[in-house]
Order: sequence, then structure tokens, then C-alpha cells
Amino acid sequence: MNRRHLAAAVTALALALSGCATAATGSGAPQDGGTLTYLDAEIPTSAQVQESGTWQTRALQQNVTDRLVYRNAETGELEPWVAESWEVAPDGLTYTFVIRDGVTYSDGSALDATSVARNLEWQSAGDAEKGTTPNAQFPSGLTARADDATRTVVVTLTSPYAPFLNVLTSWSAGLVADATIDAPKEEQQRFVHLIGSGPFVVESEEYGKEIVLVRREGYAWAPPSSPNQGEAHLAKVVVIPVLEDSVRLGTLRAGEGDVIRYVQPSEEKGLVDAGFHVVAGTGVGLSNQWFLRSSAPFLDDVRVRHALQRLIDRDTIVDTLYTDSWSPATSVLAPGTFGYQDVSDEFAFEPDAAAALLDEAGFTQRDADGYRTKGGQRLTVKTYIDVYDNTAKSLFQAIQQQLKEAGIDLQLNELDYSTYWATAFKDPEVGFLRVGWPHPDPSRGLQQYYSKDGQDLLGLQGSDARLQELLDAQTAAVDDATRQDLLAQTQQHLVEQGYVVPVLDDSQVFVTAERVEGFRLTDGALPEFSTTSLTQ
Amino acid sequence: MPERTASSDRTASERAYVVRRVGQALLVIALVYTIVFFTLFVLPGDPVENKLTSPQNPLPPSAAEALLRYYQLDLSPFAQFAVGLGRLVRGDLGFSLVSGKPVVDLLAQGLSDTVVLAALAFVLTVGLSLAIALTAVFAPWGSLRSLAASVPVLSISAPSFLVGFLLLTVFSFQLGWVSSIRDQGLASYVLPAVTLAIAVNGPLSQVLVQGLTKARREPFVDVLRAKGVGERRIALGHVLRNGAVPAVTMLGLIVGELFAGAVVVETVFSRTGLGFVTFESVRDQDTPVILAVVLLVSTLYVLVNLVTDLLYPRLDPRIVRRTATGRRRTPKAAVA
Repeated sequence: MNRRHLAAAVTALALALSGCATAATGSGAPQDGGTLTYLDAEIPTSAQVQESGTWQTRALQQNVTDRLVYRNAETGELEPWVAESWEVAPDGLTYTFVIRDGVTYSDGSALDATSVARNLEWQSAGDAEKGTTPNAQFPSGLTARADDATRTVVVTLTSPYAPFLNVLTSWSAGLVADATIDAPKEEQQRFVHLIGSGPFVVESEEYGKEIVLVRREGYAWAPPSSPNQGEAHLAKVVVIPVLEDSVRLGTLRAGEGDVIRYVQPSEEKGLVDAGFHVVAGTGVGLSNQWFLRSSAPFLDDVRVRHALQRLIDRDTIVDTLYTDSWSPATSVLAPGTFGYQDVSDEFAFEPDAAAALLDEAGFTQRDADGYRTKGGQRLTVKTYIDVYDNTAKSLFQAIQQQLKEAGIDLQLNELDYSTYWATAFKDPEVGFLRVGWPHPDPSRGLQQYYSKDGQDLLGLQGSDARLQELLDAQTAAVDDATRQDLLAQTQQHLVEQGYVVPVLDDSQVFVTAERVEGFRLTDGALPEFSTTSLTQ
Repeated sequence: MPERTASSDRTASERAYVVRRVGQALLVIALVYTIVFFTLFVLPGDPVENKLTSPQNPLPPSAAEALLRYYQLDLSPFAQFAVGLGRLVRGDLGFSLVSGKPVVDLLAQGLSDTVVLAALAFVLTVGLSLAIALTAVFAPWGSLRSLAASVPVLSISAPSFLVGFLLLTVFSFQLGWVSSIRDQGLASYVLPAVTLAIAVNGPLSQVLVQGLTKARREPFVDVLRAKGVGERRIALGHVLRNGAVPAVTMLGLIVGELFAGAVVVETVFSRTGLGFVTFESVRDQDTPVILAVVLLVSTLYVLVNLVTDLLYPRLDPRIVRRTATGRRRTPKAAVA
């Protein structure tokens, strides 16, 4: 069986601190029925499983499909779900899953061993003919053999892949019926064609307007630790995208909406005073961080990178711009993530130490504007404001101000949503950019960012052999203790070398009306509607 | 007999004029389509590229190749243009790169919604402009006249999202008369249409005020007055008919403004019309959708201008078209 219990004990405390909050629950049994109006800040676009990328899409996929393995958001522990048990061979090459009996998809077809095997192979290989890409978190070359008589699926990998069980808990690992897999890509992208076994079924979809979820009749296969083992309490969930912040908020306050996703931090207090509940959570994965590119001007000097890490006063930023729902980052990983280690001592706010580092690096002169110079060149660092975070602009400006006091000229540039990746990541002048979002597995996440075989955001091309070795070794470390140790060393190394500046532990912030009960967030900070109920 | 010849001459020259104008219109549409197509190539980023470069879901090169091949993005810009044109000729507008929905469905959804909104807003705009202009020119009190005359300037400078949000606050959040998020049929169109009318009526009102002021000073008014015609009949029957001619030409432009204004208004009111489709496709650089929207809007715009130009002489017999030299009012296509 899995040996994740030690890890769970460590992460449980961290998670309790990181605030996986639940809306206040009243006394007595949750009321049955009713329609919950959920106002999202964005438009869910594509339901295609492997491409699951945006918060608003994941929120739906989470509630419409089930996964093999469940990660308890409170304890961080892996628990059975559609797989009632599993066994990992010592060599890490074979996984044997026993599939829960009697699970069906909403179209009536069976979620049996055969279906699981097909899903896993489909996730691993994609479907080139349909333009369906493989799921980037899955190991490639996976083969799965099903035996419906014994309800077992035997998965064989070509090489050990330690992140596998974590990946199976992911929002992008939802199991879907043959009807979805067989459909053309354009149909797979529609939510009404996302046929899962989850507690809700997509009843209708009007693009950009609303998506209606109805509860799945006869649902009886929630994760054993869920407070609701049966059908969802709510009869319906109507998901309506309301893009304008002020309109979304006004609609909630006027009583027409029950839950909204995302409010400006400055609004939170007024809402709580008015009787609303703020439910916020940090998903497991990577913290909100900057990667520093040593190929950019001045950043080849590790002393300058170290100075940048020590010049951000995170506590002040959280106090002035954010609320209790947010916290300063303490590592490259978010608290509660498998293998997380607090390395905040390495980048504490130390302006004096940073000034000494910059002096040492030769930036001793100051120009007319008060910026440090070396050989007549101003210490300028260029970046683009993150387009994915609604609070990014004020955050970047606050940091710009803090760096200015230390004599560093932070140049902020803005791009629109569609051109951001393509322009910002290709710009050789760029010193850093923001990355860091929830990820089902930390090793896979770090490899995708920082390995030479991933995006290689640092641009090292493997020149830091130790970093590459640490990242590579995690894939095969099927022993949890070994992998935790490697993860700890990796976090330490990324910070020590001045490669990464952890900034914040990001939060997904939801506001619920007083009549909403039991609304809670998953390990990935997604809304869970099956435990939610309405009192009126 | 001579009369018949004259009239058939006129029909022939009119037909030549119409053919030339339709030709020009088609050329404008084709040029706009081509320019936008290649501009989108020069601009960095598109949904597929963003998918491939995102550090969240990096794909191995083999998967990336398959994806590019699927969307035929591995072809050269000119080859892609040819593919796109070939499909267009067959009436195939393709699929959205973001949502995977047929572009035709998106346009149909957007247009069916925005046409109602724009039509209602158009009626409101005309009504509002008439009310403002008549008050500004004929109101018996000077202070009311100058107040009405300043309304167009005010409405030009009032941002739509603010006007829309104010209306929502009063009528949805406070009074609860109409939902801010749910579609309640025609009732849901009223607030956005009012917002849109406020946004676009300014120029029309101003032209109308000027036209009426000018017509009012024409000698024929004195003649009418001498004949003993009542002031009300002079104002509504004669001055308005004469003074409104320049405003009629503006109606074509107003239609373009309504579609452009819908982008902001539909966002505020969470509507999913053509403005919304435009906004989303531009934000994501969803090439097939952008191209289709451009094609549709430029066609509409060119068409409305064509109709206005052809109707113009019929509305006012004093206006004679010089068919040979021609007024070259080449319509500007609105690229949203």
C-alpha cells in the first residue's frame, strides 16, 4: 500500500495553518434541494480533460468527474476514491488498482476496470488524430491492463514515476465515459459532453451565459472521508460568469447570487461585516514566485539575485494590500504540499544585508534619481506584470517602490492577455516573471519549470548539474522519504542560488451568502458543491 | 417616347452606380479580411501557442507538432490564408481555437442577441435625439434650451461602463426590477439598450440641433408664419423635415457605433452578444473568431452605408447624384 502516512502527518499541520477554510456550518442535517447560483469571474471555455488549465474550467471538471485517488484537503493524505485500494510494486514500475464496485457514468455506462484502463492510456498518449495532446502530468508510454472479473487494473510504466499517485488526484485526471473519449475534439470541449461519474451532471450550457449542473441521482461513491456520502444536497448549481467585479459583487449583495469567486482584497472586510462568509484556500503546488534569469542584465551576479530576494518586505505587502486570506511565501512550494519545507530564513526581508551585497557587487554609485549604478550603468531590472492575477498590478507596484528605496530600478511593463506568454517569455531583457500555481505534484511542477527538459525558465540548460540532478532524481524516487528529502534539497538549492524569489502563497477567494452552508474547497482550492447546501 | 428614353437612361446610370458601389463594398470587405488575417500573424501569441509555451502544461515537442498539425498552424501564412479562403468560399468559418465551438454558432448566438439590443438602442437613440434637439431648439425657456443643448456633450463624455453600472445599481441591486445576471427576455434588453443609446446619441443629437437651428432661420419659416401656420406645425411638420436631412445620413454611422458600443455594454450587463464574442476573441487572439467577426461587422457596416447612400437622394429630391464624378463616400469599415 502507499506509504504516504508519514508525509501526511507532516503536511496536516501545515495545511491546518494554511487555512483550507470551510464556510460556517449550521447545526442539524443539511437541507435538501434548492438552486445555488455561483458567479464566476471568468468564462469556462473548454471542457477537454487533458487541457484543463483555468480555474473556472477546473471548478466544473472537479464536480462533474471523479478521480481514482482522492487527496484530503485537510490532512493532505491520499485516500481511496474510485480506486478502493492500490499497490505499488517496489521497483515503481507496476501499479495495481482495485476499482470500486457499482460506479457508473451519468450516461449509464459502467466505470469499471476496462474504462479506467482506457482513461489512463488516453491521458498518457493523447489522441494525435483528434489533436488531443497527452496530459503533461502523466507518464508517457503507460500501458494498462483491465480485468473486470476481479475489478483490477494493472498499470505498467516504462520507468519509475514517483509523481503518479499524486497526479491521479488532479483536476485534470477526471475519469470520463467512452462517449467523451470517442467524441471529436470540438465536442469534447463542450461541457455537456463531459460525461463523468461525479456528484453533478452538466444539464445545459449556453456559452458565456450559464452552465447548469444538476445533481446526479443515485450518486453513492464519494471519497470515504467526505461528510456527504450520498447524492448532493443541492438540486442544481447554476454557474454564471460575471466578468465585471463590481457587478458580481453587487449581484451577491443584492441577494441574487449565492457564491462568487474572487473579490478585491479591499472588499473582504465589508462583506464579512455584512454577514457574508469569505472562504479562501491555497492549493497544493508551487507558491507565487519569480524566477530570476541569470542571462538578463546584472542578474548573472548571484549577489544581485540574493539582494532582490531580501528586499521584498512581504509582511508589509500582505498587511497593506491583502487580507488574512493571503500569506507571505515561505518556500518555492506552498504549505501543505507534499515535501514542502519552510526555507523562508534564506530570503527574509533584510535591507541592510541586501545593501551590503549590492555594494559588494560594485553598485556603489547613485545616479541623480537615487538608483545604484556601476560603471555608469543603472541597476535596472525589467519585468512584465502578471496578467493572470487580478491583484498583480498593485503587488508589482508595491515591490517596485520597495526596490526603489534600495536603489534598484524595477521596470514594469504591461501586456494584454493574449500576447503575454509569447512576448514576455521571449524577451531576453526580462530579469524575472511571475510563475507558481497549484500543481498536483511538486516534483513534476518543479521539473516543468526548472529542468532543462521542461520549460527551463532559468535558462540554465542543465549547467547547474546539482539542480538538474536533484530534479531528475525525484522522478524515480518512489520511496516517499527519499523524495521528500530530494524536494527539501531542491527548495533549499533554488533559493540559496538566488534562482527564485518566493513572493506570496496565493489564495483563491470565494464569498458565500449567509444561507450557504458546507461550501468548502478541495486540495487544489476548487469549490466542492457536493457538500454544500442552502438553508432557505 | 422621349420620356421613356430619359427614364431608362436614368435607370441604366443608376444601375451602373449600384454595381460600382457594390463592387467597392466587396473590395473593402476583402481588403479588411486580408489585412486582419496577416496582422494576426505578425502579432505575437495565439491560444495554441500559449498552450504550448505555458509553463503549467509544457508539452513534449512530438505532442506540440501534432497539435500544430491538427490546427494546420504548421503551414506558411500564405498557405493558411489559402486554406482559410477555400473554407470561406464553402461557407465554413471553422472552429474557435479556445472553446472548440463552430464559429458559425458563436456568430449566430452573438448576432441574434446584439441585433435585438442594437435595434432597441437604435429606436431609443432616435427618440432621445429628437427629444433633446426639439427641446434645445423649441423649448419656450432659454435655460431649458441651453440645458438640453449641453446633454449631447455630457452623454459623449459619460463612459458606458459607468452609466451601465449606475443603472444596474438603481434598477437591479436597489429596486430589483430586473435581474443583473439572468436573461428575462425583452426586459433584460432595456437597461443595456438605454446605456447604449446614451453612449451613441451625442453626435446625432448635435447634428440634429444644428440642423433644426439652421432650418428654423430659413425664409420658408417666415412664409409659413405669414400664411398663419401654427408654431407647432411649423416645428414638427416643416422645420423638422428640413433640418433632419443631415441627421439621416448619420444613421448609418450610428449602426456601426452601436455594434462597437456593444462590446463594453455587454460586458457590464453580462450579455453574450456579438460584443462579447468580439471581446473574448480579441482577448485570446482566437484567430478564426476574430476573422469571422471582422467579416461580419465590415459587411454590415458597408451594407448599411451602401443602403444609406442609395436611399439618400430619394429622401430629399433636391439632392441630385452626379453619377459620372460621383461622391466618393468610401465607407470606412469598422474593425472592432
